[in-house]
Amino acid sequence: MADPVMTLEMIEASQMGLKAVGAGLAVGLAGVGTGLGELGIGAAAVGATAENKDMFGLALLFTVIPETVVIFGLVVALLLLF
Amino acid sequence: MFQPKRMSRILIAGSKDQMDTIVRELYHQHAFHIEDFVEKEDEAYEGFKIGMPLDQASDASSELIKIRSLENTFGISPDSVDATKTQASTELKAGVDRTLAALVEDAEDLTAQRSKVEAQVKTLEARVTALEPFAPVPLDMDLYHGYENVTVFAGYVESDVEIPVPHEKHFVPGGKGVQNFIVVFVPASEAEAADRALLEAHFQSVPIPDGSGPVKDLIYDAKGKISQLNEQIEKIERTLEEKKNEYGEVLVAYDEYFTAVVEQAEAPLRFATTDDAFVAEGWVPSEKVEGIIASLTHVTAGKVYVTELEVGDDAKDVPVEYNNPRFSHPTELLIDVYARPRYDEFDPTLLVSIVFPIFFGLILGDIGYGLVLLALSFGLRRYFKGEAGTQLLDTLRNSSIMSCIFGVLFSECFGFSLPWQAIIFSRHLNIGANTVHHPMVAELLIISVWIGILHITLGRLLHVWNIRHAMHQSPKATKEVLEQFGWLFTMWGIIIAVWSLFPIPLMLDLTGFAPVAMGLNTAGIFGAVLVLLGIVLIGQESPLELMEVPTIVSHVLSYTRLVAVGLSSVAIAMVTNYIALDLIIGPQLESLTIVGVVIVLIGLVVLLLGHVLNTALGLLGGGLNSIRLHYVEFFTKFYNGGGKKYVPFGMRRKFTEE
Repeated sequence: MADPVMTLEMIEASQMGLKAVGAGLAVGLAGVGTGLGELGIGAAAVGATAENKDMFGLALLFTVIPETVVIFGLVVALLLLF
Repeated sequence: MFQPKRMSRILIAGSKDQMDTIVRELYHQHAFHIEDFVEKEDEAYEGFKIGMPLDQASDASSELIKIRSLENTFGISPDSVDATKTQASTELKAGVDRTLAALVEDAEDLTAQRSKVEAQVKTLEARVTALEPFAPVPLDMDLYHGYENVTVFAGYVESDVEIPVPHEKHFVPGGKGVQNFIVVFVPASEAEAADRALLEAHFQSVPIPDGSGPVKDLIYDAKGKISQLNEQIEKIERTLEEKKNEYGEVLVAYDEYFTAVVEQAEAPLRFATTDDAFVAEGWVPSEKVEGIIASLTHVTAGKVYVTELEVGDDAKDVPVEYNNPRFSHPTELLIDVYARPRYDEFDPTLLVSIVFPIFFGLILGDIGYGLVLLALSFGLRRYFKGEAGTQLLDTLRNSSIMSCIFGVLFSECFGFSLPWQAIIFSRHLNIGANTVHHPMVAELLIISVWIGILHITLGRLLHVWNIRHAMHQSPKATKEVLEQFGWLFTMWGIIIAVWSLFPIPLMLDLTGFAPVAMGLNTAGIFGAVLVLLGIVLIGQESPLELMEVPTIVSHVLSYTRLVAVGLSSVAIAMVTNYIALDLIIGPQLESLTIVGVVIVLIGLVVLLLGHVLNTALGLLGGGLNSIRLHYVEFFTKFYNGGGKKYVPFGMRRKFTEE
């Protein structure tokens, strides 16, 4: 059996692949984190808004606060890919 | 601009016989924000009580209840009706008994008829449901009734049953979702044994309906009657619709007229009164004070005392009315959703009305989507009639115009590139074979960070402005101002330190200075000193605030969403095009067959669905993210909000005139 030989193209391709995997992980995990954060806030925010409609603005504000995390993930992914 | 309208506090005092006239005039002026009188144990208010409503209050309220219930019956509301012409109050008042009484009677008659017929339909429907299980049994309905010595069982069972006594049995096997139905006739003396056998098969009895003749005929009859009754209901509804069209406008005019009467009649409930006199306090925009004093003096022939009072120290009492150019009116909705500015605070509406559409355009940045949203913002005007709806649509219009402009700059249309190179940074990704440009992701990210730095700096400076312009200077004002500069020093210190360590495109390059210590050069040391100074300044106001220092980094980097969210929407558009055009439609077009035509159609559906989805995402992404940048990153730097809304006594008349 011949020894597996890594050509330069193969190394580059596997690097590209790993970058893509990393980018995917960055977005995916950050998304999960944001989701977990928004989970409780969102439920409480809907409750508060149902009690008092004037809370809507504030409720929206609280709900979107953890969203920065997923944007960080997206930025990291973009930097990895391009 | 940049501050709410100036308000003046005025006090009106007069004898009670002038109250009616004064209330009417104030209502007409539509500028007096009444400060509710609260009875209190204060010497200055001794002998004052809350006033009683004027005479016409109770009659007008009961009329109003009638009108509102009519509006309910017809399903109309003043918001949903466009005023074609206004009606004179005097004519309305003259015709009130005639028109309203007739209309009330008609509407009550019709709705009573409708509910009677609806009840009949319900009964018949119940009968059809009861008859339906008997339809497959080959027996007439009269065969089920009138026995003395025979007992009839009818109902659902789980499976066919062996009856251990003499009997006649009809078993109808059920199907999917339908239970097995069984009818058993047994001699009355053996009924108990049959009952036991049936119970073992989980027999559920159903009542046997009345009637004679074939079951199918009975069902057919009942269904025929139902459709006749439904026609009657439709006819009644058509009549109601006609009445609605005929009287809708009059009705909302009456609503407005009586609302005005009730509001005027109940105004004294907010005044302080004695047996013979009354006092009303409230707020008026400063520019209107003289006009109001003049008109009140005029209508009462001088029998009123009006004076301007000192405005107290507390800005919380003063009602707040926006003072913005027309262009910024729609954005007031976005500010109100967060919180109305306080009276002595910087009003950011104008800033937001300019920056929000720009952020939106930066994120969406596509001519195609921009035009779709522009069309939407005009098309939906028909359905959103309320003030908030119009404001929202105006904001959408401005935002979509900006996204068209950025679409030209980015050279993007539904993810395709326009016939020119991107004028500013390209956002085209390497998806599909048609890419000619390359994305300039790093540059775009740096631009967005720049926007963040400047926006946040502006926010901090506005906080300094707020502290300086507060009506009531806090004793800690200087400390607070220094704290704001502390935040600025920390942020800029970090930025300078970063510049001195790494050369970054589109930013200052400070790496060239001679190194001094710990790998930092002169600029780096300067940055570090700035950070330390900043931290000290923040800490002297409140050490707890130091916990927030990391937010400097996260808030600035949060602005990268302007690019990140935008790029994700570009990616979705390009991937949709690639899948639909290059993978599905393209290969078929080379040699078109009949199957190929179907596949091309499927491809077009994919293309359409993808872009519809992306338009919705773009609207959400663009709108929510740019408003979020304002609410979370910008407003938290300087904005308190919590101002009381200015609600002038009176009404903007739409359907009536005096």
